[in-house]
Amino acid sequence: MNAPAVSSAAWRDRAANQTRLAFGQALLEIGARETRAVVLSADTQDLVGIRGFIERYRERFVEVGIAEQNAIGIAAGMATTGMRPYVCAYAPFIAARSMEQVRNDIAYARQRVVIGAAASGISLGVAGGTHHALEDLALMRSLPNMTVICPADADETYQATLATLDIDGPVYLRLGGRMEDTPVNDAGAPFRLGRASQLRAGNDLAIIACGALVDAALRAADSLRQEGIAARVLNMHTIKPLDRDAILAAAHETRGIVTAEEHHLTGGLGGAVAELIAIEKPTRMRMIGMPDEFAGIGPTGKLRAKYGMSAEAIVAACRQLVSHR
Amino acid sequence: MEARQIRRNVWRALRAGGSGHMGGSCSAADVLAALYFHRMRIRPNEPEWPQRDRFVLSKGHANAALGAALAQAGFIEDAVLDRFYHLESPFGMHPDIKMDGIEMCTGALGHGLAVAIGMALGARMQNQDFHTFVMMGDGEIQEGSVWEAALAGAHFRLDNLTAIIDYNKIQQSASVQEVMSLEPLAEKWRAFGWHTIEIDGHNMAQVVDALEAAPQPHKPTALIAHTVKGKGVSFAEGSYLWHNNMVTEEVYQRAMAELNA
Repeated sequence: MNAPAVSSAAWRDRAANQTRLAFGQALLEIGARETRAVVLSADTQDLVGIRGFIERYRERFVEVGIAEQNAIGIAAGMATTGMRPYVCAYAPFIAARSMEQVRNDIAYARQRVVIGAAASGISLGVAGGTHHALEDLALMRSLPNMTVICPADADETYQATLATLDIDGPVYLRLGGRMEDTPVNDAGAPFRLGRASQLRAGNDLAIIACGALVDAALRAADSLRQEGIAARVLNMHTIKPLDRDAILAAAHETRGIVTAEEHHLTGGLGGAVAELIAIEKPTRMRMIGMPDEFAGIGPTGKLRAKYGMSAEAIVAACRQLVSHR
Repeated sequence: MEARQIRRNVWRALRAGGSGHMGGSCSAADVLAALYFHRMRIRPNEPEWPQRDRFVLSKGHANAALGAALAQAGFIEDAVLDRFYHLESPFGMHPDIKMDGIEMCTGALGHGLAVAIGMALGARMQNQDFHTFVMMGDGEIQEGSVWEAALAGAHFRLDNLTAIIDYNKIQQSASVQEVMSLEPLAEKWRAFGWHTIEIDGHNMAQVVDALEAAPQPHKPTALIAHTVKGKGVSFAEGSYLWHNNMVTEEVYQRAMAELNA
């Protein structure tokens, strides 16, 4: 492979530990590697930080305005001509409003369109429920042909975005908001699509997390370690295709599984894990995520704590799991 | 000639399927014939030829007519028409990209114009001179997404794009006028920045002339084709009942007697 067009120091600086900005930085590298790559914005240029791409590759940038349905349809049409579209979008709008275009135009028609869906989960906490995306993983992973990735930090986002060049089909890449994500992976750690990365070893129980809650899972595991509980931590960055082997190994080798995600408890990572182990290896389980209600208004960190999407909540769920023999 | 054959093949497919969207298929037959047998640059034996003109049937429920045109043009085997709706047939109620000659899966209304805009932009970005055509139904353009795309087509100055509206005046439940009126339709498209032409969609000379006319520089073209729902068979013309209906052998024979007269 050729040397990267963008130095790692430069993009890391500009990404500022935010997954949404890491996606925008990775697009600059993709622009250099793939001449057919085209970036679409739905009035989302600063949401994912693509002004650098626009400046460098003006002729491969399309602003469609505040029109998510149109963005997906146009991207699908472009893809049929051999272009490689990357759609920059708000998760709450692209996953819900343009769901039919996503389903028909890119999933059913199997077009190579990548959606970078920023501001997912409750990252726009203060904006209220209209701007939260707590059902997007459920929607996207229910679509055949779709690849669904939920990176945990900026570095993983960057690697995952580059990895989309080799994916023959549509991709939903779930990105966060303005809150920094603590790096959970070693810088430059390879991203392996569909293969969970084990961040802590342990055989008492397994915490399977994605996105912003991977960091919480690590803190929970470190806290449990001091109580003598060895928790395995799996970063399940690829929600679809799911790493069946890693999940079944956890089911076989530990006493229970706790899933953690910033998503409704219905249909997300926890749901995907439960569907698998219910059939293959019934295992005691707890799920950390948003209960079946719309989140209130508030800063993201406080909302996460309020609704139990925190290291403390993961620790409590783990204790409960190991205490029930 | 080709248009009449498309209509015969529509009825043939619907007989094979037992039912289907006859009305909107037959209203579109003349425009489809003009596209596939006069206007479009295509290679039926090389359906993926990159320089081919594109056609998106956004009103996907008229797929019986598109399948007929594709069979007559040689993209697909003629026998496929007798497998309409059959298990594992590539030929169903709506276009499926897996069938040769089909550019996009359509049928959920209001998708095709955006897709066609993407194709036209793809042509421009890759310095290709193919033209993209998309056909929408009149009822279809009640979908808001059409108007998002209408804004974009003009904004991007896509003179390599032609949107055809098959204006047969009748939709599933009743007349378009009763359900949700569109008028003044041509003025709407002009106001959105499209070079807009109105034609009799069953007058082949008018259809061909309009499709072959040089585009207006930097403007997409909207071609409003005034048509008759169910055109070609007297008992089906102009009735919402024939938007989608059962086709028995007896009905088929009556229709073919008219089309063969």
